[in-house]
Amino acid sequence: MRNLTKRYGDTTAVEDLSFTVHPGLVTGFLGPNGAGKSTTMRMILGLDRPTGGEALIGGERYQDLDQPLRHVGALLDPGAVHHGRRALDHLRWIAASNGIGEKRAVELLEQVGLGGVRHKRIRALSLGMKQRLGVAAALLGDPRVLMFDEPVNGLDPEGVRWIRDLMRGLAKEGRTVFVSSHLMSEMALTADHVVIVARGQLVKETPMEALTRNGSLEDAYLELTSGRGL
Amino acid sequence: MKNALAAEWCKLRTVRAPYGLLAAVGLMIVFGALISFLMVRDYDTSPAAEQARFASADFSVVITPVVQFLVAALGALIATSDPRLTALTAVPDRKRLLAAKTVLAAAVAVVVGGVTLALSLGISALIMGDRPAPIAPWESIGDVLPWGGAAVLSILVTGLFGLGLGLAVRSTAVTIVIMGLLLWGLPAVTPMLPEPWNMDASAVMVPYLVWEVAGVVNDPPLSPLAAVAVLGLYVLVTLGAGTVTLLRRDA
Repeated sequence: MRNLTKRYGDTTAVEDLSFTVHPGLVTGFLGPNGAGKSTTMRMILGLDRPTGGEALIGGERYQDLDQPLRHVGALLDPGAVHHGRRALDHLRWIAASNGIGEKRAVELLEQVGLGGVRHKRIRALSLGMKQRLGVAAALLGDPRVLMFDEPVNGLDPEGVRWIRDLMRGLAKEGRTVFVSSHLMSEMALTADHVVIVARGQLVKETPMEALTRNGSLEDAYLELTSGRGL
Repeated sequence: MKNALAAEWCKLRTVRAPYGLLAAVGLMIVFGALISFLMVRDYDTSPAAEQARFASADFSVVITPVVQFLVAALGALIATSDPRLTALTAVPDRKRLLAAKTVLAAAVAVVVGGVTLALSLGISALIMGDRPAPIAPWESIGDVLPWGGAAVLSILVTGLFGLGLGLAVRSTAVTIVIMGLLLWGLPAVTPMLPEPWNMDASAVMVPYLVWEVAGVVNDPPLSPLAAVAVLGLYVLVTLGAGTVTLLRRDA
């Protein structure tokens, strides 16, 4: 991210944000509600246009990547699906859009534990199942970069641990994992590196270890962001 | 482009709504055939003086406006069937996404329109047999072609119209309401306008443009070429609005 800025009229959602996310680590993207985390992720994926600056992935804008899902996998909103479509069909069209074979979709549904419900319509799936389906969609292209926006929202303890282990495993394989959350306890267990934003501005970019040396992540986070909320 | 088109096709055929719309088209053909059959039966038992006053039993004329509307709804579905966030994450090149949607909407419109027209004209011909005009308005296949071609063209236009509106307003329901107003509501109101506005306004309504394109209207306000241009304008305006919305707005 280089001087990334997003304004909606007089409101500044993200201001002059610059940081780098490194491979082989889980990078936690932390901040209060309305801090600009989701907007930043949307700009990285070309969904929202920056007012200024740029977000590059391996030196290229997401929208300029050929078959982008082979480079970047993202789960921003598990509810952003057609609920009348079957789980497998949802993955099939996403796979087709990037020249990925149907076999990969079937394999991934098994991998995320949805093999038994692959012919069910999405509206019949629980929130946790939809989250897993979103993760499967993100993994379709076997990408080197993964982005998750609040991935444990609404999950039961088993689902939370599953996501955590998945992200840790992906980073261990050398992939870049960028995950936003406002759940400090979860991030303390998952992230190696932390980027903290508040009111759209960078507050701190540091290894987790440095931040938690003298206390909990929650204490450090609250100290850094106090008075910077909405 | 090939991948984006394959994805759009996969999206369309893996939800229920298009099948419902196609079933409605099929139902219209059956209903039209039944009406045509009953008309011909009535014609056969009527005296010659009454036979001369019969309307055409070609039901393609009756079902074309309904098919236009249903294909417009299919176009709207192609535009709006998935949240933009997911669609644009999979295909972030918005021009490529737009091109894939446009090609699919056009192909679906031409296939549905062509098959519907061929079936309804063929079934009408079978029912009418070798009876004379006015119950059988066409003497040969050559007579039918201008009307059939104009009807398929109008269905293509409404399909792209639905796509463009869907992309512009980003809601299937709102698009369908607007399409209903443009295809049925306004054409019902324009004849009530004071002269000469009633003729001018009616001449550019889609249902009337089909006849003008076919060149089967006596003393038409627009030539076939001008009518084609007006249909093209409909597509240009709506698809243009949809293009601007897709290319310029945040998802």
